[in-house]
Formats: sequence, C-alpha cells, structure tokens
Amino acid sequence: MKELISSANIKVKVSVKDWKEAIEVSGSLLLRSKKIRRKYIDDMIKAVIDMGPYMVLAPGFALAHAKPSPDVLENGLSLITLETPVNFGSKNDPVKVILCMACTDNTSHISVLRAVAEKLMTDGMIDRIASCKSVQGVYSLINE
Amino acid sequence: MGVPKIQTVCGFGCGSSLMLRMNIESILKKHNLKAEVFCGDVGTCCSNQCDVIFISKQLSERISDRAKVPVISIDDFMNNVEIEGKVLEYFNNLKK
Repeated sequence: MKELISSANIKVKVSVKDWKEAIEVSGSLLLRSKKIRRKYIDDMIKAVIDMGPYMVLAPGFALAHAKPSPDVLENGLSLITLETPVNFGSKNDPVKVILCMACTDNTSHISVLRAVAEKLMTDGMIDRIASCKSVQGVYSLINE
Repeated sequence: MGVPKIQTVCGFGCGSSLMLRMNIESILKKHNLKAEVFCGDVGTCCSNQCDVIFISKQLSERISDRAKVPVISIDDFMNNVEIEGKVLEYFNNLKK
C-alpha cells in the first residue's frame, strides 16, 4: 500500500504545555520536510482562535489545518501523539492525537485524507495510536 | 422532490467536512439511501444551494441565524452511531 504518512512526519509521546505548542510541533514536522512555510503554522493556530476548537473532531483527536494557501508548498500530513493530553476547550478534550494537514488546494489531497480517515475511524484506533511507544508502531497502524 | 443535497461544512471545506462527508456517504450506502453530499466552508456555506447542512456543534452557532435550510450539528465526527442516527432522522422527517 502507498505510504500515507512517512515516519519522518510522525512523532510519539511529545511533551507540550498547551494546544498551541501541540500544533506548533505537528506543524514543525511539515516545515522540516519542506511541505509548508512557517506562516502556515501560525495560520493553523489562528484558525483555532478564530473559529473555536471545532477541529477536535472526536474524543482525544484533533485535525489541525488551515486553508489551502501559497504557504503550502506540497500536500502533507503529519501525526503526533502527546505524552500528556492537552485541552483545546472542546467537548472532546483532552486531545492526545493530532493529525496535521496541509493542502495546496481543496481537492488534490482528498484521496490521501480519505485513506487516513478510514484508518482513524476504525473503532479504538485513536487509543491504539495514542498508546504506541514508537514511531514505527504508529507508522504500521497508519500505513499497513 | 429529487435527491436531497447534503452539505457538510467545516472551517475551510477541505478537512473535517470531508471526513463527515465520507461518513455520511457510507451510512447512505448502508441504508440504501440516495443523496448528493458535498463539502463547504463556514464562510460561504449559507449561499451554496442545498437541502440540509451537517456541521460541527461549535461551528453551527455561527451559521444558525443565516442558514435557510435545516442545520444538523454533530458532536463527534468519528462516531458513526451519532451520525447515523442524525442522518436517518433527517430522512425519516423527509417522509412526513
């Protein structure tokens, strides 16, 4: 199967002080792999401030993203799990798994997001991902 | 009346609205229901022609005054039981 999220874009058991830092870390993986420019991370944080924590889509899980923009160089996904879950101010708090998405337009990323979403929506998957102790463990759950 | 047009809405029309659309489409398939499902963003969704809007609870407050069609809010985008219940309820109301 095609790789959905590369191991370079996965980080487990990250310690962060709050939700902003969690988005920052997940975005920094995409920055490092040259998928985005720095401004996109600020845009993701701003989106939560402006629109509220609706991105916390399910208990324990947030999909961090901003709108497609020139600051997205290439479609990309990263995923982090948190050592200590953080609150976004959502009914679905606390969040322990964050999927960070960058897309260049509204459609080209759909097939990959669809495939990842199918994995994540499997019963109990968020908990299983959150309890992984290694990048390899998460990588296998997502990609295999 | 033709096939209902369902709009799933999130902040930008490309992330969570897509996940919700996927979920709704699989529920429609399971129950052999027909509808057209498409994604929209919270800024423009009220001017897109549709019969019903499915949206996250938090964002629903932003459009409830403006929307001309029923707005159904979802707490958990990955909870198929919740989404299935709300989709079926919508279709049952259509029959009345």
